[in-house]
Amino acid sequence: MIEFENVSFSYTGQEHGGLHDINLKISDGECVLFCGRSGCGKTTITRLVNGLIPQFYQGELHGRVLVDGQEISNIPMYQIAAKVGSVFQNPRTQFFNVDTDSEIAFGIENEARPPQELIERVEQTADDLRIQKLRNRNIFELSGGEKQKIAFASVYAMNPQIYLLDEPSSNLDMTSIQELREHLRLIKKQGKTVLIAEHRLYYLMELADRIVYLEKGEIKGIYTPEEFRQLSEQERERMGLRAVDLRAVFPPKPHSIAPIPVLELRNVTLRYKKRTILHDIGLSAGKGEVIGVVGHNGAGKTTFSRALCGLHKDCDGQFLWESKPIERKERLQRSYMVMQDVNYELFADSVEAECSFGIRNPDQTLVNATLEELGLSPYREQHPNTLSGGQKQRVAVAVSMICGKDLLVFDEPTSGLDFDSMTQVAGLIRRLSNMGKVIFIVTHDFEFVCRTCSRVLHFDEGEMPDDVPVTMDALPKLRELFSVSDGKER
Amino acid sequence: MSNQVNSMNKGLTVKDLVTTGIFTALLFVFVLVGGVFFATNPVLTFFMPAGGGLLAGPIYLLLIAKVHKRWSLSITGIIMGIIWFVTGMHWAFALGYLIMAIVADFVAGAGQYKSKKLNSLSYILFSLGGTGSYIVFFVDPNGWAQTMLGNGTEQSYIDTMQATANTGILIAMFAAVIITSAISAFVGCKMLKKQFEKAGITA
Amino acid sequence: MSGKRHKKGLWLDPRAKLFLILICVLSSMFAPSLAYQFVLVMLIAILGAFFGKWKYVIKAVCFYAVICVLTVWIMAEMTGTLRTMFIAFLGLFHKVYACGTLAGIVLTTTKVNEFLSAMNRVHAPKKLVIPMAVMLRYIPTIQEDWRYIKDAMRMRDVSPSLAGFLAHPGMTVECIYVPLLMAASKAADDLSVASVTRGIENPNPRTCLVQIKCGVADWGVMAVAVAYLIFELCVRGGVIG
Repeated sequence: MIEFENVSFSYTGQEHGGLHDINLKISDGECVLFCGRSGCGKTTITRLVNGLIPQFYQGELHGRVLVDGQEISNIPMYQIAAKVGSVFQNPRTQFFNVDTDSEIAFGIENEARPPQELIERVEQTADDLRIQKLRNRNIFELSGGEKQKIAFASVYAMNPQIYLLDEPSSNLDMTSIQELREHLRLIKKQGKTVLIAEHRLYYLMELADRIVYLEKGEIKGIYTPEEFRQLSEQERERMGLRAVDLRAVFPPKPHSIAPIPVLELRNVTLRYKKRTILHDIGLSAGKGEVIGVVGHNGAGKTTFSRALCGLHKDCDGQFLWESKPIERKERLQRSYMVMQDVNYELFADSVEAECSFGIRNPDQTLVNATLEELGLSPYREQHPNTLSGGQKQRVAVAVSMICGKDLLVFDEPTSGLDFDSMTQVAGLIRRLSNMGKVIFIVTHDFEFVCRTCSRVLHFDEGEMPDDVPVTMDALPKLRELFSVSDGKER
Repeated sequence: MSNQVNSMNKGLTVKDLVTTGIFTALLFVFVLVGGVFFATNPVLTFFMPAGGGLLAGPIYLLLIAKVHKRWSLSITGIIMGIIWFVTGMHWAFALGYLIMAIVADFVAGAGQYKSKKLNSLSYILFSLGGTGSYIVFFVDPNGWAQTMLGNGTEQSYIDTMQATANTGILIAMFAAVIITSAISAFVGCKMLKKQFEKAGITA
Repeated sequence: MSGKRHKKGLWLDPRAKLFLILICVLSSMFAPSLAYQFVLVMLIAILGAFFGKWKYVIKAVCFYAVICVLTVWIMAEMTGTLRTMFIAFLGLFHKVYACGTLAGIVLTTTKVNEFLSAMNRVHAPKKLVIPMAVMLRYIPTIQEDWRYIKDAMRMRDVSPSLAGFLAHPGMTVECIYVPLLMAASKAADDLSVASVTRGIENPNPRTCLVQIKCGVADWGVMAVAVAYLIFELCVRGGVIG
């Protein structure tokens, strides 16, 4: 049993993410989904339950949070840990060990269980979660989805009564999300209490018992999944929430303008460390076209994007720009990649300096106009690191516009974004498309693809078997590519 | 009922230890990258500590800015010492880093880890740790060369070693370390002010 | 469980390996002449062969043989300051080479978790084990980060090379340090949260999944190492006085 009694919290030196007067009871075995816009306080709720507030994050706390009648702020962290397990958003920075077995055992090692029990628990966990094939591996070789599974396994091995998941699907592909759902189903069947803060809602609709909608730190509504499904699309979008059912997401009406081809790839083969990643790819893309790129982890999406941008060296075949061959160095000049972790490409000490960074004679009017256009003017003096994820992304896009890049690649631009930010990115991409840029988007996000892309490239096993237009006619194929299932079970 | 949270003044927390670990990894890599070019070159071998000191300043200063508690730098030194030792570096090199890191910790601590001047001085001292193995050489050049020359150490060698040129090398080595690490600390201070404090990642 | 770790060749306790490195350092320090150094490298090569690292040890021994010949030649031919330089360099080289070769074997045959288990077994304090574990885990992350940063730099027309650094020192420095340290800082927060919520603050001593034990092989290898050191010391003592 978890009880929030008149809980208010505000972070020191931070406006967003606080909570006002929360009252809520969650009984044992319940699965509760917390949703709402970024900064609505849903993550803060999870932090109150696992004790990170007040023991790790500083701020002002009023009211009481009780777990099984005990006040969380009075229990030491390690005792809370035995009761409450937490899984976080970023799989890259959650693990402590280099190999998977030790990572799974990390929590139970801290609990100082005897060695024989450790071995049994790890064995049991791997069996229950069906991750035997991930055992005894180097974590750095795993994909994001596999890392997330190990993080979940590590918590599972501790066998807590309560599971907290803070945006666990942000960095996962479709298959991994389905596997995550299976894991959640398993712990629910075991009678565990599950609290999830999420933007992506569709995969949780069958699991959640209650859905709590938060706005500006207050509970604005508590729904059952049935009630929640009844919400009209307008209503839901006004609340700033992502799709509840991907089967209700459709491509837009076809836009009839045939684009003028500008980029062409002929017989392109890509290799990495002498291994062929992609074989004999041919395609052409027009000015203003927005092309989605999908495929499993390791299917070659990253190598493909890097080759497009002229960052990958080991490739055969021809790239043509306006019918003329374009060499690697020249592609590098023309293209820009907006990385999934955009922090790697922000170097300067203010947004404004970032926009003219590395340019010898920056055109100040262009900088100002671009910042204005992307709604970044109010932040021009701020350090890029102090911005939100969506804002950072826009800074990167501003850079690409000022540098006059024609070919843009976005790597998972919607990971961890709420509905509002997602539509903003979609709007941004439409604007770039209207400017005549060629845009590639590597993504798993079906909703986003339907809003932005005109076609989708599918990579699999070193080939490009599909090049599908995003239209109603191709809907069955699109659903197959994004694993949007028709029935309830796969 | 209000609950003002405070986690200061409690010794090293888990967060401090994790931060120390991560920054030690960065320090290690940057010292290695800076030094490796000199280490493998017989003529420039004496400038290896200087090369090692050139790159790591900003990392060291940010570590102090993030943790600013006693023992964090000492732990860094102990870990570096263990890693150098395990990777087969000369024992005096490992020992040098260990001792100088502890000294550096106390120097930075004298200014409550807040004085940029003392923190910079602390970095210079830390970098001097890399001279350990060369000091052993200068203290006992005979012993050093004995293995190679057999026991009949020639007079001419002892003469060369006692010639002023060698004191010159010793001074040049220390001067180089002090200069490069001072530059590195200077750049680090600038960067701390310009970037990291503004970005809000210092504690 | 343990079967998986014994895939090929010998398995030694990390503590025994640490002891070997220590003895190796001492043996290098007290080696009476180059010949003894060479024997030491040969012994290490035999150990490497037991671990199944044939290629590595053959290369290591051949390279060392060449350097030894070179050393003899330089000692006979050169004079003056250059000679001093070489003596310092080669002196360091010879003292370090054996340990370096051994370290190469140790590092490639020891898993991080075994090493940490050993630290646990010798009752190293948590304040040391935690940063150490984090450090070992973070080094590959730096490598990954650096790959992204290089890409980002190239797209901004900043060359991630020495030439690029000389052309635009200020800019290159920012490009390298800023994202790397921002990422490090964020990783520090995330990792502390992830470990605190899994109970790392538990005051009871941790247990360890990987169990290490000192067996016959460990004692055997250590005995050989100590014997060689004593032999060296006897030779030295006998000759000098």
